[in-house]
Amino acid sequence: MLLEVRDLHVEFHTRDGVARAVNGVSYGVDAGETLAVLGESGSGKSVTAQAVMGILDVPPGRITGGEVVFQGRDLLKLKEDERRRVRGAEMAMIFQDALSSLNPVLSVGDQLGEMFTVHRGMSRKDARAKAIELMDRVRIPAARERVRQYPHQFSGGMRQRIMIAMALALEPALIIADEPTTALDVTVQAQVMELLAELQREYRMGLILITHDLGVVADVADRIAVMYAGRIVESAPVHDIYKAPAHPYTRGLLESIPRLDQKGQELYAIKGLPPNLMNIPPGCAFHPRCPLARDVCRTDEPPLYEVSSTRGSACHFWRECLDG
Amino acid sequence: MAEPILEVSGLVKHYPLTRGIVFRKQVGAVRAVDGVDFRLGRGETLGIVGESGCGKSTVAKMLVNLERPTAGSIRYKGEDITRLSGKALKAVRRNIQMVFQDPYTSLNPRMTVGDIIGEPYDIHPEVAPKGDRRRRVRELLDVVGLNPEYINRYPHQFSGGQRQRIGIARGLALRPEVIVADEPVSALDVSVQAQVINLMDRLQSEFDLAYVFIAHDLSIVRHISNRVGVMYLGRIVETGTDTEIYEHPTHPYTQALLSAVPVPDPEAREHRERIILSGDVPSPTNIPSGCRFRTRCWKAQERCALEVPALAVPAWFEAAGGPAAHDSACHFAEEKHVVPAEGDGDGPG
Repeated sequence: MLLEVRDLHVEFHTRDGVARAVNGVSYGVDAGETLAVLGESGSGKSVTAQAVMGILDVPPGRITGGEVVFQGRDLLKLKEDERRRVRGAEMAMIFQDALSSLNPVLSVGDQLGEMFTVHRGMSRKDARAKAIELMDRVRIPAARERVRQYPHQFSGGMRQRIMIAMALALEPALIIADEPTTALDVTVQAQVMELLAELQREYRMGLILITHDLGVVADVADRIAVMYAGRIVESAPVHDIYKAPAHPYTRGLLESIPRLDQKGQELYAIKGLPPNLMNIPPGCAFHPRCPLARDVCRTDEPPLYEVSSTRGSACHFWRECLDG
Repeated sequence: MAEPILEVSGLVKHYPLTRGIVFRKQVGAVRAVDGVDFRLGRGETLGIVGESGCGKSTVAKMLVNLERPTAGSIRYKGEDITRLSGKALKAVRRNIQMVFQDPYTSLNPRMTVGDIIGEPYDIHPEVAPKGDRRRRVRELLDVVGLNPEYINRYPHQFSGGQRQRIGIARGLALRPEVIVADEPVSALDVSVQAQVINLMDRLQSEFDLAYVFIAHDLSIVRHISNRVGVMYLGRIVETGTDTEIYEHPTHPYTQALLSAVPVPDPEAREHRERIILSGDVPSPTNIPSGCRFRTRCWKAQERCALEVPALAVPAWFEAAGGPAAHDSACHFAEEKHVVPAEGDGDGPG
């Protein structure tokens, strides 16, 4: 395993109390593999990634337990300066909003070049040449001219390509992409996802794709981890989960999206709202919204049951769910 | 189609670009909407899809008279509302209401939910006498699936989905006949989206509403619409019933758009043909000559740069009839299946 997150716990201390954002998350990614972490807002999918990347705001955030084993080392035990050498060079992140993630007063060439001057100690001139090469790699037309331009002079899709170029710069072993195409139009989204998938294959990188979009996941992922209220409720190879979900939340999500290929009648809607993280329901966190819930669900938190050697479900009644 | 309640023809909105401070002169224009025609029947839903910058939100604003069109007309029951003002405009506005995209910024944080939903009655007091308003607001809360006890709460006490219900309740307050909804669910989580769409479906049949439903999500538009118009750079390039557009698209832009939508079915990824468009949408200040899609179109020929294709049923389809015979603004319109047919992949059983 390239990266293995084991039993990670993250809390946020706020004025109103403690929000338990991540409650025992475990997942792994191999080199060349794409893991999609799927969840709605507040499910803990981004916080987990921030903890892995080491960019969690501490305080108010606090990692209260678990391990993040990357290439054999537990990153949570490293000192900050050692951690900084890993970040950017060995694992890199792509954010949703490229405009606010790029520095508006530096040209894109300077920002790309910085990766090489800071991490590799290159001269400015060599770094500039590298920046142009990278912009070519992510297929930004007229890279030689555009390298001097500023982020606001690029379209949304082009800015996201620059983010990808920056993440790729030092050829990291792992890329974490947090909703990389959510802000983009569908035709541009298709271009960017295709580029990302192609580069991943070429460099044999591990990719963690954080998203709420079940369509994007079906297109690119090898495995899926579905998160709800800070836990992984289902984990499976991509084909299995779409064929027969083993958790009622996953099933609800799949049935609640309108389909392009059919005009359905009423959409299935998961009733109620996701829980407040300061007050997660006892037992299974999903039980107040679950059609299969029984007494045991209100008291006993389900472990991640083994459905098969490659998939798990945190539902006491996963067999029932799997049978439909 | 049912009797038209709204008829839009030749709708244009140009925003002038000026230079100079003392001597202002116009140096160009942002052609946000550049000739849009459609009809909306009573109780019908027209979906308008397109990418950012295609002018769909500007159309929405003109429909509710938040923007004055540069040219063209919007007829509500035969009367051109773009020329109305004063009392007559106010009366028409009562019947065409809007639901906004962002449930966080479209509700005043200092007003209670009761005041927000009841505010339309201050402007149109003839709809509900003063003493009756609280009761009506409670009723509306109930209709959109919120607890009527929440009448004195503030917007921040609600989740995104609940806020969108409040926005819908406000839109319904005056019993309008037309609701213009601009991306009403795109800010919501998947599981909550379905709740709001079902609500809008239910309200439509309950109150015989006509919707103009504007969105970038093609799956949602198909689900809710009777007819669909696809917009590109300020124009509708193809329009038809949902089956015509989704199963028999003839305009290359529609085909590219549909083929780019990720489908929640991993089996489809191997045998699905993707049309990946190159480049970005041109700027609306500098629209290409002829067909505005030609700069990104794989079929473009010389003729496309010279002649603007009209939005009409292409002659070669008209003779044959069938679902391909619908309005498409392309010189080389041709049918292409891009959406995997129903049953190609097995959904959750």
